[in-house]
Amino acid sequence: MRSRPSLNALVVGILTGLLAFVAVVQVRSQAEVERSLGGVDSTTLAFLIDDLHRANDALGADAATLSMRRDALRGGGNQVVDAQLNAEASQLRVAEGLVPVHGPGVVVTVDAPLTPLDLQDAVDNLRVAGAEALALNDRRLVTSSVIKASGDAIDVDGAQVHGPWTLSAIGDPTRLAGAADQMTRALRDDPRVRRAAYRSESDLVIRSTVVQRPFVYGSS
Amino acid sequence: MVQPAPGIIRSQVNLRRVGAYVLLALTALAFGFLLATQLRTQLLVPGNRVARTEALVRTVQDLESTNSAYRAQIASLRGQIDGLEAQAAQRSEATQRLRDDVATLRAHAGLTPMRGPGVTVDLGNGRPGAGATDYLVNFQDIQDVVNLLFAGGAEGVAVNGRRISPMSSFSGPAGTVVIDQGNPLYAPFQVVAVGNRSQMEQLLGDAASLGGLRNRQRAFGLALSFQGSPDLSLPAYDSTLESSFAQPS
Repeated sequence: MRSRPSLNALVVGILTGLLAFVAVVQVRSQAEVERSLGGVDSTTLAFLIDDLHRANDALGADAATLSMRRDALRGGGNQVVDAQLNAEASQLRVAEGLVPVHGPGVVVTVDAPLTPLDLQDAVDNLRVAGAEALALNDRRLVTSSVIKASGDAIDVDGAQVHGPWTLSAIGDPTRLAGAADQMTRALRDDPRVRRAAYRSESDLVIRSTVVQRPFVYGSS
Repeated sequence: MVQPAPGIIRSQVNLRRVGAYVLLALTALAFGFLLATQLRTQLLVPGNRVARTEALVRTVQDLESTNSAYRAQIASLRGQIDGLEAQAAQRSEATQRLRDDVATLRAHAGLTPMRGPGVTVDLGNGRPGAGATDYLVNFQDIQDVVNLLFAGGAEGVAVNGRRISPMSSFSGPAGTVVIDQGNPLYAPFQVVAVGNRSQMEQLLGDAASLGGLRNRQRAFGLALSFQGSPDLSLPAYDSTLESSFAQPS
């Protein structure tokens, strides 16, 4: 019967060894995960990488354009300067919503009692998807546009507007269509929404404009 | 009948017992191997995941430094262009007039620094609680604060030193705020607005404003405060304002 304790010891030894091995590996991998992740999961990081690639491409293209502009200014006379200033003025008037514009885009229509926050989110969704010009029920929108509640209606930069809502956006047609599709699907799941749809247009026109207000408080 | 000797019976019993122990040991070993193999496949995945996440973090960091470098380059190029235009404007009145028009447009687009009276709004993450990410400051919160400031008469706004343009957009996963083509921003956030100080202060102090943020301030200890100031500075917008698709009619 002397063999019994040694066999038991072997079994216990193996199991203990296994337990120790498992515990060590588990603790080690847990510590590594906590040290390196810093609270950001890999899916989030992948999204950030995607965004940063697109952003850097746009910034790189912009830097290249500005660099060419500077070189042309160095070599050219006042004609070059004037041409550049005119081109920039035209570009900025589009960005600031001061002139009517046209181009490819989407029209999103929603029949629902939407709140100012819903509308602000919808507008931001389209901007994130590359909207370069936006209008809500024929009111032109820029970042500083004010959308707020006004009784039963909604006030856009001082003008009352009512649903059904029509959001027009000009910009990258593929990205805008993707965002509009996602947005209308989400809206259709909302019990308040009677109808939500979108259509792509190859040459959408936004006629409404924003009135530029001179600065009262800010100076350069 | 010949009875087996008692010693033989005992040795047979012993042999059987030893066999049982060996079987137990072999079963334990086999179990151990199976367990180890199983754990290896399961634990190596997190191991690889760690390596993959580290690689992703490095990629994000590389892209962020490229991003900062591009924005610094854009700011520098805009400065150089402005200097060359100023020289040209000294030679021609027509150029000077054009330059003045563009200067106004640039100021309204946020392309030039701005200073004046205004408010500073500070936002910080709270404590984790019942709502999964409700304790974090999200891009919608920043968007809501910026919208409120414009409603209160802001003429220029910047978030953590990033100027808001007429086409600015807000996005990002929970706890992360991405504005236009910039690097992701994290809490604490500081939103600075130059404009109608008293009207902005009044709106920020109104309990009916920023309802969602105020609820989460109570529930998760999210930080939200503001302070007026007679003189604040905003940097110039340093990203792209190009329209590739929208053309003047």
